[in-house]
Amino acid sequence: MIPNMLSWLIFFPLVGLIAVLLVPKNNHNLIRTIAVVTTIVTLILSFMIWDAFDNQFNGIQLAESYQWIDIGFVQFNYEVGIDGLSMPMILLTTIVTLLAVVASFGINVRVKEYFAWLLVLQTGMTGVFAALDMFLFFLFFELTLIPMFFLIGIWGGKEREYASFKFLVYTGLGSIVMLLSFFAIFYVGAAATNFAEVTFNMIRLGEILANPLNPDAATMGMKSAIFIAIFVAFAVKLPIFPFHTWLPDAHVQAPTPASMILAGILLKMGAYGLLRIGFGILPDAAANFATLMAILGVINILYGALLALVQKDLKKLIAYSSISHMGIVLIGAASFTPEGMQGAIFQMVSHGFISALLFFMVGAIYERTHTRMLADLGGLSKTMPILAGFMLAATMASVGLPGLSGFVSELLAFMGIFAASSEIIPAARTIAAIGALGIIFTAAYLLWAIQRTTFGHIRDEFKNLPDARTVEYIPMIALFGLSLLIGVYPNILSDMINTAVVDLVSRIGG
Amino acid sequence: MPNLMDANWALLTPEIVLVSFAILILIFDFMTGIKGHKPTLGMLSIFALLVTIVLVARGDGMSYIDHTFVVDSFAILFKVVILLGVTLVILLSMNYLNRHDDIYQGEYYYLLLFAAAGAMLMVSSLDLVTLYVGLEILSISSYCLAGFRKTNVKSNEAALKYVILGGVASAFILFGMSYVYGLTGTTNLLSIATQLPEVYQAYSYLVIMALLFMIVGFGFKISIVPFHMWAPDVYEGAPTPITAFLTVVSKVAGFAIFLRILTVGFGSMFAHWNYYIAAIAAATMIVGNVVALRQRNIKRLMAYSGIAQAGYLLVPIGAALSWNVTLSQILFYSVAYLFMTLGAFAVITLVTENDSSEDISAFAGLHRRSPVLAFSMTVFLISLAGLPLTAGFFGKFYIFIGVMTGQMYWLAAIMAVTSIISFYYYFGIIREMYMRDTDKRSILLPSTLSITIAICLVGTIGLGVFPNILTNFLINVEWIMF
Repeated sequence: MIPNMLSWLIFFPLVGLIAVLLVPKNNHNLIRTIAVVTTIVTLILSFMIWDAFDNQFNGIQLAESYQWIDIGFVQFNYEVGIDGLSMPMILLTTIVTLLAVVASFGINVRVKEYFAWLLVLQTGMTGVFAALDMFLFFLFFELTLIPMFFLIGIWGGKEREYASFKFLVYTGLGSIVMLLSFFAIFYVGAAATNFAEVTFNMIRLGEILANPLNPDAATMGMKSAIFIAIFVAFAVKLPIFPFHTWLPDAHVQAPTPASMILAGILLKMGAYGLLRIGFGILPDAAANFATLMAILGVINILYGALLALVQKDLKKLIAYSSISHMGIVLIGAASFTPEGMQGAIFQMVSHGFISALLFFMVGAIYERTHTRMLADLGGLSKTMPILAGFMLAATMASVGLPGLSGFVSELLAFMGIFAASSEIIPAARTIAAIGALGIIFTAAYLLWAIQRTTFGHIRDEFKNLPDARTVEYIPMIALFGLSLLIGVYPNILSDMINTAVVDLVSRIGG
Repeated sequence: MPNLMDANWALLTPEIVLVSFAILILIFDFMTGIKGHKPTLGMLSIFALLVTIVLVARGDGMSYIDHTFVVDSFAILFKVVILLGVTLVILLSMNYLNRHDDIYQGEYYYLLLFAAAGAMLMVSSLDLVTLYVGLEILSISSYCLAGFRKTNVKSNEAALKYVILGGVASAFILFGMSYVYGLTGTTNLLSIATQLPEVYQAYSYLVIMALLFMIVGFGFKISIVPFHMWAPDVYEGAPTPITAFLTVVSKVAGFAIFLRILTVGFGSMFAHWNYYIAAIAAATMIVGNVVALRQRNIKRLMAYSGIAQAGYLLVPIGAALSWNVTLSQILFYSVAYLFMTLGAFAVITLVTENDSSEDISAFAGLHRRSPVLAFSMTVFLISLAGLPLTAGFFGKFYIFIGVMTGQMYWLAAIMAVTSIISFYYYFGIIREMYMRDTDKRSILLPSTLSITIAICLVGTIGLGVFPNILTNFLINVEWIMF
């Protein structure tokens, strides 16, 4: 086993970055090769970490800790480590990033800058999922902002500048709320130990504040206020209604690989932060807001689905479906049952693969037809059966067809909310029932969309379009395969997360 | 009354050396004729400044001449920052000067040195009179420098505005000082500090009036709202390197002395004035950042950005914390501000000169004209905006954590929200550089400018990734002797 494996994983993309920067900018193939090699190495590293990861162990593994900044009354340390919550996210990050790099082969302008930003982005994302110090978490979280701004703003569609600025300002505002709430947690945590222990470490803070036996821990009102702030901060990223308006713009304007990363990984940073910091450190406050969160989750599901139903642009439709699917994460987590929490994490992973696949498919179709308008598409299965087939498969996964990952996660999340204790969510079953309606809408808009794109009458100018290229098979097969794998063998994921889930739920005594 | 000859004049060595060099340059300048390119004099001034920095840094941090002129850590650290700033300004001017024949180079260099000497005197003085003398040396040199392009109408206008408004500001400062003298019978900050609490009991309004007059006067000098109106006009008209000098060196020096008066002189009655400062800080951050949104002229934009940054620097003064922490925060941010602003101005000088346009559209397509310049500018702007892994981020974060600890949440919230507003205009320049295109030809980087940019880049990124280099040092500093 390599020492400091997590740090290697986090910073290896920067090694690739330096290599990319040293290559002359016209040597596109070499730059692409370096990017692929770098992401393959990170993938291998993440598998090695997975191999070293002990499913049964409750707590942080592979931890690394170094002193970093000391400003007298408080220290910030470089502290990373993983548990069952971060492990799947790290695998998700390395896999989706690699596939996004493969999907980026079609980028022909400013290739060097493009891959440079992509690699910086990977460092930021991996860092978020591995950081244990809240300051470090914040740093990595913010580090993802700048690359994404450039990826959307330079390589995006027609409205790219508007979309990139909207993304910047919304995410920036979210970050500020996050920073404020981190300080509040820090302060409350220090106060709970009578300033004997002043720490930014989220695990320690969780032990201090989530401990019901600690008489000095903050009052419920204080904790609730902080939890609301944390919720809002991560709600922007997740995104939760009404903080979602940046998402359709950003997704639609972003180039295909950036959309894949945005939907596949960046949104999960919000969900991860909410679970790790919101639920992990302030579980009782979170439980107080369970009903509200469940209702917001249902609103997300229905609102996203209804808006998706009326979209004319295929990419926008998928963007709204992301909002809808993130609602499932929220209701699963809000249920405070092991099933629900598992469902939430399953949905994070599953949506990571499926949305990346859907955005990839839309990108592939757009590249050929130069339109994303549902009205203009149609009958694609006649000229490009493979692409159309994978589009159909991705849609089925997204709808939640049994045997695919979407099914498992939705089932678990809804099981969780149906089983939620009435002390936590009074009208859990009603909420669950309304939320389940969203599944029907999801089926409706996705099937309708697929019907209008792949079947029906085909326009003359689309008749000679080429089908999938070899390089396109890689992301398609990999992403669909992973969805299938989780669908038929969910244990591969549930074994990994189970200990962490039980621990998280047990914090409120549930 | 101690005999003047007994004083430890050796403490003034750095100042004396710097002024001697300035006079030497002045003499050389007269001997060689006033016109023409004089890179040697530039090099000589840089040498003079470096020597002075070494001399300053060797100070032991606890000596004084009759409680009038002190060499404490506060003075040493701020002097190093100021001298470093002037050095970088000269480095980034050299190319600019050669492009403009209406600037007399010799005068330019020695005026900058005199300004630096004035600023040094200022941060070391513990007496209102020496302090004022230092301030005027700095100010008068700055007035001249602002109007240094004699044939340029805007530059003349800038100088005139600056001299009139600066004079008014000085008058306000003097007026406030006269109140203090009237109340306490002394100009020494230490005696003032011991007497003020007592005087305050009897003449509370007069004391506050005196302080407010001084805040108005110093407010002009460091361009904080609502005394900032002159800044955009002067900054726009002044030669670009002088704009950099005014935004960084003048401002930091002004801050230092303002701090000295507030901490030493009025420190004992902190609770009576900190809310004024907090309110001014809030107004400064809001106005600076909001008005900057509408600027198209890059120098005006940087002026408003500088106003906003002054607001961030004021925040720790308004927040209730121990002075050691406050001063560490301000010093850290000053250093960060120095690197990122001077770096940005180095790029701005080159780009605006190349295109003879100060509109931000001059930056369009910079990533193709000069990838290095575009990248450096991006780093500086990201730092000014306060995004991670830059000095500006940690500086702002450091201040932020202080305000939060001081429990002035509203101020922290304003600081946070205005930082987000600032994203919009800083990234507006980044948008020009990377997302807009141009067919202009590429820009060549002169060597002096590349040195400046390299130093600023190293400073900005270095302090962003390893802020502990500076913080580890700062937490052990005993700031003020008395």
